[in-house]
Amino acid sequence: MGANVVAVAEHREGKIAGVTYELVAKGRELAAKTGGAVQVALLGKGVSGLAGEVASRGVEVLLAEHDALAAYTAGGYAQALAAMLRSPPKILLAGHTSQGFDLAPRLAAEWTAPIVANCVDLAMEDGTLIASRKILNDKMAVELAVTSERPYIATLRPGSVKPVGPAGAPGKVTPVSVLIDPAKNGRTFHGYERPEVQDIDIAAADVVVSAGRGIQKKENLPVIEGLAKALGGVVGASRPLTDMDWLPKTRQVGQSGKTVRPKLYIACGISGAMQHIAGMKDAGLIIAINTDPSAPIFEVAHYGVVANVLEFVPALVKELKSG
Amino acid sequence: MPLDVVVCLKQVPNPDLQFQVAADGKDIRRDALNYKTNGADEYALEEAVRLKEKFGGKVTALTAGPKRAEQMLREAMAKGADAAVRLAFDDPAAVDDYQVANMIAAAIAKRPHDLVLTGVQSDDYGYSATGPLVAGFLKIPHASVVTRVEVSEKGLKVWRELEGGDQEVVSLARPALLTIQFGINQPRYAPLPAIMKASRQPIEEVKPTDLGQSTWDGFRGPYTLAVRKVSPPAAKGHAEMIPGNVADQAKAVAQLLREKGFVRG
Repeated sequence: MGANVVAVAEHREGKIAGVTYELVAKGRELAAKTGGAVQVALLGKGVSGLAGEVASRGVEVLLAEHDALAAYTAGGYAQALAAMLRSPPKILLAGHTSQGFDLAPRLAAEWTAPIVANCVDLAMEDGTLIASRKILNDKMAVELAVTSERPYIATLRPGSVKPVGPAGAPGKVTPVSVLIDPAKNGRTFHGYERPEVQDIDIAAADVVVSAGRGIQKKENLPVIEGLAKALGGVVGASRPLTDMDWLPKTRQVGQSGKTVRPKLYIACGISGAMQHIAGMKDAGLIIAINTDPSAPIFEVAHYGVVANVLEFVPALVKELKSG
Repeated sequence: MPLDVVVCLKQVPNPDLQFQVAADGKDIRRDALNYKTNGADEYALEEAVRLKEKFGGKVTALTAGPKRAEQMLREAMAKGADAAVRLAFDDPAAVDDYQVANMIAAAIAKRPHDLVLTGVQSDDYGYSATGPLVAGFLKIPHASVVTRVEVSEKGLKVWRELEGGDQEVVSLARPALLTIQFGINQPRYAPLPAIMKASRQPIEEVKPTDLGQSTWDGFRGPYTLAVRKVSPPAAKGHAEMIPGNVADQAKAVAQLLREKGFVRG
């Protein structure tokens, strides 16, 4: 086994996902401890341009191109990575994304290798991998120590580390030939689908007032709409509400919905799961209202109100109108 | 085209609760927790039952967990599962997902499985790893974050949720494993007569010896793994909390919004 750290690049329709550069940053830090180098495995078809783009961040790119890699599939990537990394790396990193957590655990089973998923930090101590993770709605932090002679496989939560920027000297691009048997893949990619937007675009609003499970029932939505109206804003929602069809999917703020950066974001009865926070943490001013003082939303909010939204919001609207 | 569907369920502490660190600092305190079926697994179970209702076949609810998990399996039977299996793995924390997935795969391998479903992630740990691990051990194709399933003669067509609200459409050969995303369906409530009936149905208990190992340790991977520390997360930053009763809080926030220029007129 080598000492290198390999980061699996993520890209879709000609664009590198930002998490790739976060993996490079963390990978570089880990490689300094393993005595190896960080490399990016870029898999695709007709992606030499992207390889150059990644290499410009000062990192070596292992480039595998094949018809079966034109779009991501777990089976195709697994076959290609096994072929590319005949001498397995010390650590294989992927983003904790719809691609990374689809791929990495499968690799762990196929490679008989330990996996630590959804890490917010990773470190090496004398050959042992220390994985830091958050559990139970981010209410607890766990540190896990894993020691193995097999490659460590890890997924890193997006936004956990600062990505590497452009470097003075680009890294080299090393083409690697891979043999893939599509018959062994078991999964075929057909295409992407995008929701048709026939609703207001919450990402374009200056003020977003979002509702979460704390509003208790659909009939209470007008309470939130009242506050949005008073502030000239729009109503957004956390995932559970759009899952229950209380609001259309187009209103969902979060990783699997919209990323919003309004001047003002008010989170009403939203606990602040990682997937929601990813979509609103960069708002200018964040005010959160929740009954649970330990809710993780209060970690990203600028101002917090511990209260029942159904009592607080009408009181606030009244105050705003009486001014 | 009847389908044998195995749906993997996990019983988790209700994540809406507040948690405390256990005395040894290596787990949460588990003496007074209230457990429930993992949220995404409810959707996986519902999808399994709907597929059975459409195509015929059998739904087996399967878990690895302590005796308390039988309550969850009975609820699953009340909601339409035909059989229930519990791997008698008593570790309440179960931090080694490789080990858990390995034993689940071994148990699934011994029974018919055209389709294996599980939730996209667990509400307690959120690693999203067990499903693809199980598929890897079973050497069957899989797809994660599935929001729609169509069954064809030989395979499946499924929609996977990607970041930013996009979806991708993929097809899979059967048998296959899918991790089911929240919102794919509306899970049903169990009718009272079904709850009564499920309370009398048998639950198959699987021991490691049934799967060819003397203990559950036989399903561990080639590594050592230990929790070093469980602690409340170091707060990155924290909101400035608005004190007082609701009337005071509303006044203070209204004033704040005025100062910041968000209130017109």
